[in-house]
Amino acid sequence: MNPVRDAAATAAYGWLPGAMTVAFLVFFVAWAVWAYLPSNRARLEAAGRLPLDDGDET
Amino acid sequence: MSQPPPNYDDQIVRRFVSVTVIWGFVGMLVGVILALQLAWWPANLGLPYTSFGRLRPLHTNAVIFAFTANALFAGIYYSMQRLLKVRMWSDKLSAVHFWGWQAIIVAAAITLPLGLTQGKEYAELIWPIDLAIAVVWVAFAINFFGTIAIRKVAHLYVAIWFYMSMVITIAVLHIVNSLAMPATLTRSYPVFSGLTDALVQWWYGHNAVGFLLTTPILGLMYYFLPRAAERPVYSYRLSIIHFWALVFLYLWAGPHHLLYSALPDWAQTLGMVFSIVLLAPSWGGMLNGLLTLRGAWDRLRTDPVLKFFVVGITFYGMSTFEGPMMSIRSVNSLSHYTDWTIAHVHQGALGWVGMTMFGMIYWLAPRIWYRPLHSVSLATTHFWLATVGIVLYVVAMWTAGVTQGLMWRGLTPDGLLQYPNFLDTVTGLIPFYWIRVIGGAMYLVGLCLLAYNLWRTATAPAASSQLEAA
Repeated sequence: MNPVRDAAATAAYGWLPGAMTVAFLVFFVAWAVWAYLPSNRARLEAAGRLPLDDGDET
Repeated sequence: MSQPPPNYDDQIVRRFVSVTVIWGFVGMLVGVILALQLAWWPANLGLPYTSFGRLRPLHTNAVIFAFTANALFAGIYYSMQRLLKVRMWSDKLSAVHFWGWQAIIVAAAITLPLGLTQGKEYAELIWPIDLAIAVVWVAFAINFFGTIAIRKVAHLYVAIWFYMSMVITIAVLHIVNSLAMPATLTRSYPVFSGLTDALVQWWYGHNAVGFLLTTPILGLMYYFLPRAAERPVYSYRLSIIHFWALVFLYLWAGPHHLLYSALPDWAQTLGMVFSIVLLAPSWGGMLNGLLTLRGAWDRLRTDPVLKFFVVGITFYGMSTFEGPMMSIRSVNSLSHYTDWTIAHVHQGALGWVGMTMFGMIYWLAPRIWYRPLHSVSLATTHFWLATVGIVLYVVAMWTAGVTQGLMWRGLTPDGLLQYPNFLDTVTGLIPFYWIRVIGGAMYLVGLCLLAYNLWRTATAPAASSQLEAA
């Protein structure tokens, strides 16, 4: 409600949303790279068959 | 169907499936009554308890928190025990979750027609019920994470991640949005006010769509679709990207409900941009689901379960295309406050949520009651009734919504309103409202067929010699 106080708050804490955005982006890209690493391919494809390895079905 | 697995708790699954159908009937019946009231007002019976304003939250709460949530819990209890190869951590907490949740639904069904409400959309329930929801949800969360902790499979399959996002996010959303100062047993004042209250409300509201009606159902899709199609998901690695992209993006999309409001422009634009970007992971997930059926498409001719899944996933694709489009300011200026929004919501609710849950229940029934489904042809009839019902509903509301939006903004050459009498824009829509009544009633009749089919399945004599043949 107080524009001066709002501006001061933005100056003081404005870096935080920016840092979070960068952190989230890095996290997401890293996760995507991990998922598509050739060395993870076999392991993840085996994990994808987990629902079929049920044990109570033929 | 094979014999019950020795170590899994299937009773909790049977319970949740049964109440899903019962509450689904109540919620959808109230929906049809509301549709009738809009087409023919005397259907409100002239009583406060059955007036539109009181029955509407009863309808939304029943279909979201009674029909959908109970179906989700059934699917989660069934699949997580099998994906983690372990029985639920605590049967007592499972029972607390089940009975607590049903008690909350009954409390909602009593208080809402009495007009007791907090007045927040999809969060109408009064503060004592809100507290009970928080307690029961935490009991479920303890059981859920306890089961993960004692799991016998190291890898957490992607479905579990989708369920986890629901368990955590719904707790946070519900608790923050329901923060209120009680004044009496039935009245309270929210801690947020004005614009902040609106933003918190739609942060909650849109993420209830995201984390109750989308991500857990995608988790169920990633488990039950491979089971029904008897082949692994098309791309497991894509499913991981699908998950992380959805959970990062969804939480920011809420402001698209507040376009052209007092919300700062930058926040409106932020909500709009995140909503548009959501199209990418949503369609990635849709394609991942549909491509899982590669090589199994011929089974669509005979298997009602796959029919339900395919139509459900297709509606997921349609509503996640329409949603981003409606979040664009210029489109929203036409669509907002019109029946177009109702078309969009029901495309997602009847098409994506309902059809996927029906497919899952038809697949589950023989496996939790250990006998063949009573009638496959009845299930197929349900499928066609529901599909035609949705199409009638959605097409009628699209037409009504666009008509309504165009009539509201219509101007004469002199710059005056072309339809200054609001009633003109109401009476023009009544034919479409009748089509909605028919479409909704067809969907409800379909649900009754499901109820009958399940009843006959559950009460059929168990003849173990016939089970293997099913």
